[in-house]
Amino acid sequence: MAAQVVLRLEGVTKRFGSFTALDDITLDIADGEFLTIVGPSGSGKTTMIRLLVGMDAPSQGEIYLSGERITHVPANKRPTCMVFQSLALFPHRTVGQNIEFPLKIKGVAQARRRKRAHELLELLRLPADYYAKGVMQCSGGERQRVALARALAFDPEILFFDEPLSALDYRLRKTLEKELKDLHRKTGKTFVYITHSLEEAMVMSDRIAIMRAGRIVQTGSAAEIYNTPGSRFVAEFMGEVNLFDVEGGEEGTFRASDGAMSVGGGRLDLAKGERATLMVRPEFVRFLADGEAADCSFQGELHNEFSLGSRIQYEVALPDGRTVTVEKLGEDRYAGGYGDHVTLGFDLASSHLIRED
Amino acid sequence: MPHKPLTRAALLIYGIVTLVVLYVPILAVTFASFSKARYLSFPIKRYTSEWYGKALESSTVADLISTSLKVAIIVMLISVVLGFFGALAFARYRWRFRGVFQKFVLLPIFFPQTVLGLALLMWFNAIDVIPTWQTAVIAHLVWIAPIATLIIAIRAYSFDPALEEAARDMGASYWQILREITLPLLWPGVVSAGLFAFLLSWGNFPLSLFTTGADLTLPEWLYAKMVSGYSPLVPSVGSLTVLFSLLLILLGLAFVWWSGRRRQAMLARGGEET
Amino acid sequence: MERIEERQGLLSALPILVMMALAFLAPLLVVAAFSFMPPKVFDLAHLPSFENFRVFVEQGYYASLLWSLGMAFVATVVLFLLCYPLAYGMAKVFGRFSLVITIGVVVTLFVSENIRLFGWVLTLMKGGMLLGHLKAWTGLELDGLLYNVPIIVLGLAYAYFPFMLFPLAQGIAMVPDDVRQAASDLGASRARILWEIDLPLAMPGIMVGSLLTFVLAAGAMAESKLLGGQAVIVMADEIETAFTYGQNWPLGSALALILIVIIGALAVFALSRIDLDGIMGRRR
Repeated sequence: MAAQVVLRLEGVTKRFGSFTALDDITLDIADGEFLTIVGPSGSGKTTMIRLLVGMDAPSQGEIYLSGERITHVPANKRPTCMVFQSLALFPHRTVGQNIEFPLKIKGVAQARRRKRAHELLELLRLPADYYAKGVMQCSGGERQRVALARALAFDPEILFFDEPLSALDYRLRKTLEKELKDLHRKTGKTFVYITHSLEEAMVMSDRIAIMRAGRIVQTGSAAEIYNTPGSRFVAEFMGEVNLFDVEGGEEGTFRASDGAMSVGGGRLDLAKGERATLMVRPEFVRFLADGEAADCSFQGELHNEFSLGSRIQYEVALPDGRTVTVEKLGEDRYAGGYGDHVTLGFDLASSHLIRED
Repeated sequence: MPHKPLTRAALLIYGIVTLVVLYVPILAVTFASFSKARYLSFPIKRYTSEWYGKALESSTVADLISTSLKVAIIVMLISVVLGFFGALAFARYRWRFRGVFQKFVLLPIFFPQTVLGLALLMWFNAIDVIPTWQTAVIAHLVWIAPIATLIIAIRAYSFDPALEEAARDMGASYWQILREITLPLLWPGVVSAGLFAFLLSWGNFPLSLFTTGADLTLPEWLYAKMVSGYSPLVPSVGSLTVLFSLLLILLGLAFVWWSGRRRQAMLARGGEET
Repeated sequence: MERIEERQGLLSALPILVMMALAFLAPLLVVAAFSFMPPKVFDLAHLPSFENFRVFVEQGYYASLLWSLGMAFVATVVLFLLCYPLAYGMAKVFGRFSLVITIGVVVTLFVSENIRLFGWVLTLMKGGMLLGHLKAWTGLELDGLLYNVPIIVLGLAYAYFPFMLFPLAQGIAMVPDDVRQAASDLGASRARILWEIDLPLAMPGIMVGSLLTFVLAAGAMAESKLLGGQAVIVMADEIETAFTYGQNWPLGSALALILIVIIGALAVFALSRIDLDGIMGRRR
């Protein structure tokens, strides 16, 4: 990565008694990037952000901020700031007082505090008269903006987010995700965002890090992770997916280990006897007409059909009981109905081979 | 579950009757305090307020009030401070011995107060401290500070720890957090704990009994007169202490109402001062 | 940061802990030490003896203990039955009226127990508020209602009413409405809901309330003295007498120690089984 590294984690491990919450994490965060750390609950992402903010110290390993070691510097001595999941707005203070709080702590004079608070209200598209409003009188979306304004008033080198959008309804969340991305561009600050929602991560971030059981299993852009996941876990975590066990034969030929799929002429980069997983996203699976060919094909019975708005999702049951998911745009809708025996197929060019040790 | 109107009405009547019964003895004392006769019998034949005048003039009563007030005010101040920090340890901070601490702090509430008072008397004797009203303050604290802790802890439980973490994250020091976040948010609990502490100390008898030495508090004097050597001042002095407690409670309720209003007003005009 | 909270927790607990070490633990240790001294001494510089405990058994002090515990038990049962409907009303039925009851009950707590018991004496004595008026209106003359065991039990129930009512109301408030609703939809009768849903789920509140009442009543003295006259002599009274008229600190200490051990064991047992955080409503 060309940009300068602003935050570096080296072999960071955190144990709680015999439980290892974070296991030897090494990660570089580039200056100005929007990095999202995604993982299911219990994957260690909350522990991770607590270490990054300074509310907790690692059991092992070091954290560097702009080259300086900050592993054991407490939160109130770090030039970084977090937007909390609960937002942690002070209920006994007005919007203005909330935004000015970090400035007050720094000893900024009142007139300048007030000016800065009004600038931030404007940046976050909150009306100026909200300055005097009680935070508890604000709506959910407005509170999000106040929390953001307060964090920006601190002028942190890195802004951390601990799933602040998780409590909001779907539409508001979508709007705020876009605003957040916008804000990232306008302020040029480094954003580190933690969430369990992949959708959120894909919409906003430059780079995604996926966590599982205290480890980072893959980092990359949204497209990289979606198209070329490094493990079954990541493939499944990143939305609907069809996975097939394959085994290499002579000179790149291969066969499905469980025999559910018939293989045409294609070649895979597999040694003889090597086992791997072949992944294909539902949108790349086709319904094959009679005589139509594909690199891989299989037969099954149409079980279910769900409308996803612009797309339609089908579930096809294979003879061995497994289900294959297919997604089509509305205009490519499959003409038949439930119970039809259908032939499905996909090409190797639109698939991805996952090798795990 | 919807309740039948009949159930509701029956429960309501039961509640009102219970409340009335709770106040019967207080009513009796008040009635008696207006009786002209030196020795009481009902129905009261002639009413008078002369005992109130006598009680207010009496220097004994003035001494009793001053001792009781001193004790109650000091107990209130110390209990609130002990209780504030105690409540943080009780409800807010996660620390290893929190569970043990919680149970230990509640223990004195369960103890018979007379026995606590006697134990303190022996302890003071063992360390050569002569009991006066100051030692009574200590005796009251043993029982009242845990209650203050409990009252503030209830408030502290409804407090999002992320608020303190957020303030710390923005650079606030321990004392800044305490002043700007913790204390203002726990303030209603602190006020009611103070009120409770004062009133419980003001009315306490069993803890004072053995620990005031030569000094006497109002409840002690009342008890002494009730058990032996009845004085016609007993009902009027008793009524006066009740009246004083009631006034304080009304003041407390008014404060709660007023601070609620003030907060609204402050938020409405977005006050500058913090 | 859990290391910070570890330290802050300890530091915040320290002031009250110091107070309690000096004014609660130390005196109790002195009581324990005195109880093993020979009778009628006023310092601890003597060889330990079990004489006081022998006196407890031989001179019938255990009768007072049994009276104390027995009356406390009956008072607890009576209070539970009296308070349950009201607590249920406060938790589930009354709405805003519960606040009136709460304030009304709390206010009585601030009136010295002496004065309230004295008020009962004035009410119940011969020629008192109740019987005096009864006689004036109907001519019916009754002896006073005071100076017997039932009146002491009622006095205890009166004095410790709030200590049963509030924990009970809190406990019943913890029973989720939808669970009761579900049980009702599944065809459970009211009695069945009470037995299978309300009582088990409100158990923490019931335990706290019963424990508080029992323990406080077992150590009470004023009720038996003011309302009961000489009908029975309770344990706390014996303790006081041993200290004052008897001038026998070791005997008083031994009696106190016996009471403390019983009450302390009960309190510690019950407290260790109760999730305080749950009852008081911790958020995380």
